[in-house]
Amino acid sequence: MELVERYLQAVQFWLPRGQKDDIIAELSEDLHAQIEEKEAGLGRKLTDVEVEAILRQRGRPVLVANRFLPRDYLIGPVLFPIYMFVLKIVMLGYVVPWILVWIGMMIYSPGYRVQHAAHSWLEAFGYVWSSLWGTAFLAAGTVTVVFAVLERVQKKSGFLEKWDPHKLPPLRNPNVITRPSAFFELVINALGVVVWVTNMYSPVTMISEVRISVSPLWPWFFWGFLLVSLVNTALAAVNLTRPFWTTQRAIVRLLSDATGSALFCWLLKANILTGFAVAGMSLERTAEITQLINYWVGRAFPIAVAIGVAVLCGNIYRLVRLKTGRTHPALQAIAH
Amino acid sequence: MLCTVSFENLRLELRRGCLVLAVLAALRDEQCGYTLRKALAENGLAIDEGTLYPLLRRLESQRLLASEWRQHDKRNKRFYRLTGDGTEILEQLLAEWRDIDASIRAILEKQGAGSWN
Repeated sequence: MELVERYLQAVQFWLPRGQKDDIIAELSEDLHAQIEEKEAGLGRKLTDVEVEAILRQRGRPVLVANRFLPRDYLIGPVLFPIYMFVLKIVMLGYVVPWILVWIGMMIYSPGYRVQHAAHSWLEAFGYVWSSLWGTAFLAAGTVTVVFAVLERVQKKSGFLEKWDPHKLPPLRNPNVITRPSAFFELVINALGVVVWVTNMYSPVTMISEVRISVSPLWPWFFWGFLLVSLVNTALAAVNLTRPFWTTQRAIVRLLSDATGSALFCWLLKANILTGFAVAGMSLERTAEITQLINYWVGRAFPIAVAIGVAVLCGNIYRLVRLKTGRTHPALQAIAH
Repeated sequence: MLCTVSFENLRLELRRGCLVLAVLAALRDEQCGYTLRKALAENGLAIDEGTLYPLLRRLESQRLLASEWRQHDKRNKRFYRLTGDGTEILEQLLAEWRDIDASIRAILEKQGAGSWN
């Protein structure tokens, strides 16, 4: 029977302090009753192996004790979805910028590159990865602690259980274009067209006292950007009168954004500035500055590509959403 | 495999509420935990001690059961019985149980689900 007492002692360890003796007395009584009944049936004492089998069938002591413990959560079911949402936002808002800044530093800062990627990019990534996790755990830990405190407060006050259906956010339809945004887009594009046509036609421009000349490729950019702006202006005008996305308009926006992004990326790599002249500055100096400007403009190419790809992905997502019609019926009713 | 796991989870879920009803019904006559467990098992509702004793405590804390330690067969045992509140709640739960039973029968009969006795 020593095994039984050891088992009960192990269960007792995990039980709530005020109820330990009471629960153990009852469990002990139940266990002894079962053993005595079995012994009476067999007409002999149970062997250690048979007692062991009974204890095994009852389960691990910590699990048995756990069933007597009050159900307690660090973060309960009411707050858990909000906690997960905030955690994802924090991680996304932290890890993504961190990686982007790191890529930027590796591309644009030769000193940083030499210091952290002396041997390989992989080694440098390993270094940044390890330091990233330290701070990521701190951020996740802080969010968890805040929510654990909120859980305690919520449990006492029940503030999250009081809610008003009228305060729920209005129905959102991603296919609806708000009129203010369409109007804003129309004004910006129309102004852009006017400024572009009146100031940017010539490959040689005077800004204040500076005479700027650009590459012979400039007409391609001039007409290309003008076309994109005109298409966007027309699209904004249509969106203002019929403020919801249709497949046709989404395709037009996709083509216009793709053309605009491609043109912009090309512009960055085209050594577009051929020279400038300022009174009192030597030709050598202006040539040096021109080269430097073109160099740094060219270095922005990867960022422009990344932004262009993100914009196109957004456009493709919008098209897919429209094609598959994956919108709530109530929301579709708003759109039409 | 998935089907077996799902069935087992759903079966446990279904049994959970029924066990409360069975325990309350069985305790219309005073019993100790061990004999209650045996009585339930003999009637086809086997329940392990890890489920039964926390359930008895919960029902007692809700004042549906009362208990007392007493000497019986030379051993100290805890006996449980239904309280007045427990009896009232049991009647309400039994009425609910009969309504659920009737509803499910009606649904199955409408769908022509075959024999249902």
